[in-house]
Amino acid sequence: MAFVKAQKSKAYFKRYQVKFKRRREGKTDYRARIRLINQDKNKYNTPKYRFVVRFTNKDIIAQITSASIAGDNVLAAAYAHELPHYGLEAGFTNYAAAYCTGLLLARRVLKMLEMEEEYEGNVEASGEDFSVEPSDTRRPFRALLDVGLIRTTTGNRVFGALKGALDGGLDIPHGDKRFAGFNKEKKELDPEVHRRYIFGGHVAAYMKTLIEDEPEKYQSHFSEYIKQGLEADGLEEMYKKVHAAIRADPTMKKSEKEPPKEHKRYNLKKLTYEQRKAKLIARVQALNSVVDAAEDDEDDE
Amino acid sequence: MPAGHGLRSRTRDSFSRPFRKKGTIALTTYLRTYKIGDYVDIKVNGAVQKGMPHKFYHGRTGRVWNVTKRAIGVEVNKQVGNRIIRKRIHVRVEHVMPSRCSEEFRMRKIQNDKLKAEAKARGEVISTKRQPVGPKPGFMVEGAMLETVTPIPYDVVNDLKGGY
Repeated sequence: MAFVKAQKSKAYFKRYQVKFKRRREGKTDYRARIRLINQDKNKYNTPKYRFVVRFTNKDIIAQITSASIAGDNVLAAAYAHELPHYGLEAGFTNYAAAYCTGLLLARRVLKMLEMEEEYEGNVEASGEDFSVEPSDTRRPFRALLDVGLIRTTTGNRVFGALKGALDGGLDIPHGDKRFAGFNKEKKELDPEVHRRYIFGGHVAAYMKTLIEDEPEKYQSHFSEYIKQGLEADGLEEMYKKVHAAIRADPTMKKSEKEPPKEHKRYNLKKLTYEQRKAKLIARVQALNSVVDAAEDDEDDE
Repeated sequence: MPAGHGLRSRTRDSFSRPFRKKGTIALTTYLRTYKIGDYVDIKVNGAVQKGMPHKFYHGRTGRVWNVTKRAIGVEVNKQVGNRIIRKRIHVRVEHVMPSRCSEEFRMRKIQNDKLKAEAKARGEVISTKRQPVGPKPGFMVEGAMLETVTPIPYDVVNDLKGGY
């Protein structure tokens, strides 16, 4: 390989300004964060809540958080991996599961704040645009949607979670442009299509086409569904039951976990300051005793 | 062409961001709350052009007299001629930080209240007044060798040897 001059000199490193840690990790969009967190100064310490939705490969995380200098405080959280408690056995990251997670979080927060009777939200998920009506006694719980770094295209699953939270009774400012089923030409939301997505209709349709055309692919792709015995036609019923179960008891269930196993330690444990000082003193004393012994030998000779 | 005395004249260095601190502003500036009566330092953040105070106020400390949606009203002393005027300006929160000028006083107040409460419980009267540092106490000098030095009488013959 030819000799290439070193590109990044010492001067480069001296002048380099690192971006914020979470920006380096690619996890936080600070431009959006500043705008979401900034509270009017004449509202002093009133918290401004964010409805945070994040998707991992196998899970959905929905949280209500408020920011503080010490770190954000999570008021309530809901995960898609909790949905088995409510009857959902497979498909934890699709649009329907996102709806369930948003709904679960909304009901959980309202129950926590004792507003659940006042703000029932939309019990029958119809897919239409629904906003909470403020009741006479208390104002609805307001949060702002925080999508993170995802590209907000029409039909994205975060808007499924948003719909779930809206139907659950939260007040989240939104428009219907990005819900699944919004027609760009006619510029209006088709509630039928949205309802299909909320109840997993799109998944059921794909299941049906695969069973007809490519049965092997159906076996591999929907293996979990087959294992749990879920059929394309029964999905809507299942989701209806999940919604009902969520509304019945949205409290988080604590699971019993055994204490973690003790593993063999392969690397040395770091010493504390006291231990290091004691080691040094012992070493110096040992050295001194050797020197004294040598001196004594010389004196004797 | 003459120099020009515009609003931001002579601010090339004072309004510029420090070395390796450019870019996104840390979120604590937006999360801090200010109440009327707090002391604040005004330090202009060149990255935010809205709501900047005039360069005179850069480095001044004042008290908050008004709180609006995104800005704070600060009352700063300015000497104009032979008098000091209390000027009221509005500054966005990015150009303001809480002042520590009265921190020592507040800590001392809390400490003194505690000491007084303890003394009252014991039944004795204490003074929490600060005393100025007095003269240092006397001490014995250790390991000094006394050397008596006397002047030698002036010797005309020898001292004039060099120059004459």
